[in-house]
Amino acid sequence: MNLAQRVSIVLIVGAASLAFAGSAAKPPERISPSPTISGNELNEQWMIEGEQRFRTNCGRCHQPPRKLSPREMAIAVRQMRVRAMLTEDDMKYILYYVTH
Amino acid sequence: MRKRGLIIIWVCLTASLVCGAQQSFVPTPPVTEDARPVPVLSGGVAFIPTWDAGQPTLVSIVSPIVLVPLGSNFILESRGAFEGDFQRRNGDSGDFTGAVNKSLDYLQLDYIGNRYVAVTAGRFLTPFNIFNERLYPNWIRNTQTDPLIFPIGTGSDNGVMLRGGIALNQRVTLNYATYFSALSTASHLESERHAGMRAGVFLPRERLEIGASIQHQLQDERLNRYGFHMQWQPIRIPFDLRSEGTYSRVEGNGFWIEGAFRFRNANATPLRHTQVVLRTQVFHTGSAVGVNPDLPDSDTKRTEFGVNYYLNDGWKALASYGRTFTAAGDSNIWTVGMTYRFVLPLGPRQ
Repeated sequence: MNLAQRVSIVLIVGAASLAFAGSAAKPPERISPSPTISGNELNEQWMIEGEQRFRTNCGRCHQPPRKLSPREMAIAVRQMRVRAMLTEDDMKYILYYVTH
Repeated sequence: MRKRGLIIIWVCLTASLVCGAQQSFVPTPPVTEDARPVPVLSGGVAFIPTWDAGQPTLVSIVSPIVLVPLGSNFILESRGAFEGDFQRRNGDSGDFTGAVNKSLDYLQLDYIGNRYVAVTAGRFLTPFNIFNERLYPNWIRNTQTDPLIFPIGTGSDNGVMLRGGIALNQRVTLNYATYFSALSTASHLESERHAGMRAGVFLPRERLEIGASIQHQLQDERLNRYGFHMQWQPIRIPFDLRSEGTYSRVEGNGFWIEGAFRFRNANATPLRHTQVVLRTQVFHTGSAVGVNPDLPDSDTKRTEFGVNYYLNDGWKALASYGRTFTAAGDSNIWTVGMTYRFVLPLGPRQ
């Protein structure tokens, strides 16, 4: 392994370590809605959870897409259900988030 | 026999309770009527002039994708690619010329059976490691040149595949893809006869995925190929870490690791659209050099540094510099260019 590669690996791993140190500070809260909350609160929680799942799953590979209509988003999310192996719940939350 | 039956019933009951508990814990959002899927024409366009060891190549790619929903559980999806790698007519002088290569990357019918499995039949991208399936399109990849190990175990297959993503709990998701491909020598529909599997563990809270692939060739050398992949995106920092490794005793082995940082939190707007990338990779030849003509014919190392600038509406500008090290000599590789991603509805948008 030559010098350039050693330096590159050190830089990449170093950056990853710094990132890990930063990310470990505060893990995101998971939403566990109570069955008694109102419709508006539930919508808000679905949006928060949807955004989180969008960033977690879609953001791993690509930047957020430009604004598309709900029907266009629906086919894109269905494709990603298969290609990106989203879980069924991931698909529902993400679809809700990107179409509202 | 009776004891075994009791054990099976107990396991089934326990599994049902666990699944039932998971399903009733969180009320999932409904799918509204205005989110009925519509067919779309999507895809990417890229123009990436590349100077490899001083030789300029005008890489031009149009890669259309068609998505057609069928009923509530089926989807027909296809991607073609038109790629022209235009080089100077006389080596280092003259006009740029070359043929446009046409290929059908996939044409597949997917059936989403249930929350555990989706069935795919037709021509599909080989799920060996992750670059081929997830990161290949130019508008997605952070570094435009293909990894050196990319030709091992990837490409397109003609056959059937089972795949899925399963949330074990809120902290762990499993994903898998298992497939069989038949031999085809038909023009534009080439595929190898092999079977394989990829499995991964994804930790959503840590945004970390680790996985492995195995593929067994059922023709010619009947060789085995092994792969591993890792993908990590920290929650608080706009940093992507990706890596893949591949081993094939006959074809060769190697790995690549790539880090990309986006200045998302910068004050200056232009800087927020900017991403810097560093990738390094190694390839060692296997026992039969040349058995896979797309691989380097000698041990190779390459390190690349690049900058991506994300414009609005799917446009991305890019530039990169890399240095390749081989026993035959070292060389530079430069790229500069633009990529664009488009989506057009093929039906009513509303």
